[in-house]
Amino acid sequence: MLTTLIRRELLDNLMTFRFAAALLVMLLLVVANTAVLINDYERRLGDYNTAVKTNRQELQKKKMYADGEIVLNRPPNPLSIFNVGLDKRLGNELWLMYNTVPTLWEAGMNGSDNPLLNLFSAIDLGFIFEVVLSLIALMFAYDALAGERERGTLRLVLTNSVSRGHLLLAKYISAMTCLLVPVVMSLLFALILLTTSAAISLRADDFLRIGGIFLASIAYLSVFYLIGLLISAITHRTSTALMLAMFVWGFLVLVYPNMMLATLETSDIPQERAASALNHIKQIWEEFDRERQRFLAADAFPGEDSKFNIKGYWGYAVESYYQNRLTLFNIYDRTLAFDEIDEEYQPAVPHVQNYHRFLIPLTIQTADRTWLIRKEALVDTLVRQANLKRTLLKLSPLGVYDAATQAWAGTNLLGIRDFFDAARQYRQTVITYYEDKDAFGAREWFLADKSAADWSTLPQFSFERRSVEINAKRALPDMMLLLMISLVLFMAIFLIFVRSEV
Amino acid sequence: MIWHIATREIYENLNSLRFGLTLLLLLALMLTNAVTHLREHPKRMQKYHDAITNTRNALTARADNLYTLAQKGPGNFYKTPSPLHFCAEGGEAFIPDVVRGESHSWRRGALKSFWRLHYPSVRPNLANIRPEVTKVDWGFIVGYVLSLTALLFTFDAIAGERESGTLRLMLANAIPRHAVLLGKFLGALISLLIPFTLATLMNLLVISTSRSVQLTAGEWGRLGIIFIIAILYVCLFLALGLLVSARMQRSAVSLVILLLAWVTFVVFMPSTLATIVRGFSSPMSRAEFQERRGQLDTALKEQYREYIRIRNTKRYAVLQEQGAYVTKDAQQHERLNRERLAQEIQQVKEARAIIRISPVALVQHLMETFAGTGFERHLQFLENVQPYARQFREFIIENDGHDAESLHLIGVPTGMSQRKVEPAAMPRFKDTRSLNRDFNTAAVDLLLLVLLFIALMSGAYLAFVRAEI
Repeated sequence: MLTTLIRRELLDNLMTFRFAAALLVMLLLVVANTAVLINDYERRLGDYNTAVKTNRQELQKKKMYADGEIVLNRPPNPLSIFNVGLDKRLGNELWLMYNTVPTLWEAGMNGSDNPLLNLFSAIDLGFIFEVVLSLIALMFAYDALAGERERGTLRLVLTNSVSRGHLLLAKYISAMTCLLVPVVMSLLFALILLTTSAAISLRADDFLRIGGIFLASIAYLSVFYLIGLLISAITHRTSTALMLAMFVWGFLVLVYPNMMLATLETSDIPQERAASALNHIKQIWEEFDRERQRFLAADAFPGEDSKFNIKGYWGYAVESYYQNRLTLFNIYDRTLAFDEIDEEYQPAVPHVQNYHRFLIPLTIQTADRTWLIRKEALVDTLVRQANLKRTLLKLSPLGVYDAATQAWAGTNLLGIRDFFDAARQYRQTVITYYEDKDAFGAREWFLADKSAADWSTLPQFSFERRSVEINAKRALPDMMLLLMISLVLFMAIFLIFVRSEV
Repeated sequence: MIWHIATREIYENLNSLRFGLTLLLLLALMLTNAVTHLREHPKRMQKYHDAITNTRNALTARADNLYTLAQKGPGNFYKTPSPLHFCAEGGEAFIPDVVRGESHSWRRGALKSFWRLHYPSVRPNLANIRPEVTKVDWGFIVGYVLSLTALLFTFDAIAGERESGTLRLMLANAIPRHAVLLGKFLGALISLLIPFTLATLMNLLVISTSRSVQLTAGEWGRLGIIFIIAILYVCLFLALGLLVSARMQRSAVSLVILLLAWVTFVVFMPSTLATIVRGFSSPMSRAEFQERRGQLDTALKEQYREYIRIRNTKRYAVLQEQGAYVTKDAQQHERLNRERLAQEIQQVKEARAIIRISPVALVQHLMETFAGTGFERHLQFLENVQPYARQFREFIIENDGHDAESLHLIGVPTGMSQRKVEPAAMPRFKDTRSLNRDFNTAAVDLLLLVLLFIALMSGAYLAFVRAEI
């Protein structure tokens, strides 16, 4: 019985104009945008490769360790084609320094992009799915029950010994099968274009991630189909159902996300929390300074200050403390770097070396200590607020779907933070490498007159996206949420439909 | 007769679900818009006032000495925030609101670099981890929400009556078809304008009762223009709805076509086209810019190597060459900055020209222009800054000319007047906007909008006249 019903519904749906139109528009949009997005990705990848190369060359030129700027570049995520998330927005170039722990807030932007182009909104396949799939799903659903009721066929069907639950299930299954066609076809087209592009090499786990995005799309489709079915079940006329469906769509997809964020758009961060954290950080640095002064007092070199009064050629001496109130960035910058110095300063060199051997490990230690405070404070001031907004966005299925696909693609906040975690780990590696060679206490740390720094054995940085299991774990709550909404909606429809008169 | 049909339509619509829902949606959106504006606008104004006060104070401090003033320059120029920001937000977060007119501060002996204009860029998203969405401004409300409701008001205007058979009934009377079409059009327009006008009035009421936002007569005029543009835009979509509705036998089919066309043209077209067009030109990248700057510096130093280290002998010729060096240095950097800016602007202009295919881009450009926000406003601001920079330089030369003790060698401390400048005499930067210019910029967009409307309306007429009932 169920199969007969499904077959009937399937044929009914497949032969409609809306099915053909939806398929056509979906394919057109997806193919056109995939081509554009691949182009965009290739450009970003080119920028990334150039940047990595230039930075490596620049580093080789540096003669002193203190002067060596290790720059890390974040590669563009190939799955950003599916959901760009924060991948293009957040900084992709990080300067690694021993005296501060890097976060995404210090990252700069590398790329040949014209900053004014941000005026135009970015687009990705996820957005097309969000808008078009939900619309198609509602267009399939609005007359599923109301239409049959109007035409009287519903009464006819139910005079046979068909249970209402079966009828609903048949409608659901057949409509979802129909709706899957445009999703599958457009995804396949996108994949074909992706695999033919020379710059993009998708790995096996990338296909798994795309599979995850596909599953999320089905769940999203199901939610919107069921919303339409619910509207169809509670209304008696198709025209009312249609109006209601369109306004619900407009509200959930177009109005709610924008309106919610506009009302909540308070850029104020909890000032006291930030201030107390900064205060704490400052105390730690003051403690550091006292220790430094004690060391200098105990040192026997006459007439000294922390720069040892050294003057030289082609170099600089900086001593400054800087902090940023908003991102809680703090840095004690003390750099002494010279190509050559005058003969009269030569006796100071061993003292400077000795001083560095003491000072730099202490700076690193202090920076690590301030990081512990900063990490928590940043979560409280910046991250939590952003996450609250993301959670509120999830009141619309669109927000849930967006979060799920971002998690699969690895372009959400957690995915981007993986890079910065890797960068912090790499910073530890570099520090260990320096310690092993005793680079801090070496003459080449700040002076290149006898021998230059050797960068050849420096461990290379490479960033690998986290495994697909991590993506799945991050996407799971949102996927579950979509399924749960579907289930609740289906039950609601069932209850309403069973009790309703035909 | 037309009016008769229109009133029938209006009565029918007033009782319908779509009217109620539209009213509700528009009121909610406009209220959000007003509340957000009242919250954000005073902050914006405060920031602007603080910034110009700082610049003015710095300028007064420099005026003690003509050389210092000539060397350090007029300081930063700030764009006046528009009080009509709520009409069109114009992506202002991505457009810089300042042009810097300051010294680049190199120093060789007694010589110091002179000020030049440079154009900082903004990247507000670098540290922004919050979800990003469109702002709820009138441009969004009209461009997206109102256009969608316009389609929902007309998709069944003719196809629906055809389905239910009333169209045949109506045309059996001696009613000309164009009267039916116009009646339908007017009916839909008026029943859509009622909620829109109500929502707009409420929005303006909330905004104008607040003390923090003051609107002048000119701004009310601009609001009127924006309102008319919104109506024109709505007409466009009503005509489109009638066209499709007249061609289609069933209203469901008509709606499917309309919605898919709407999604394609309104939602996706602007961003897709912009992404395609940006590939056509590539402005100077940061690395290229720095390289060229370095080359210019080296070439200039090469040319003036003899003179740029100050000599003990204060010979006139040496001073002259030094002055020329400093002036040329500032000039060529300013030219390079402007060239890069012009290339960036050109790229955006191309993209904006192409995305006009989408009517929503048209209406948003128009609203931005008349609200005094967004890209066109930025161009106007830049046009205001550049002549002022020239004026300021002329002022320095003129003032230097008045001092008989000065050698009149601009660029060298010893060659210039060291007198105090009266702060009141300095030219003042005015960030003016003129309605005439706005009309000029908007003319093409406005004409395109009207043209599109006429085309669609005549299409609807032809389709309806030739349609079988």
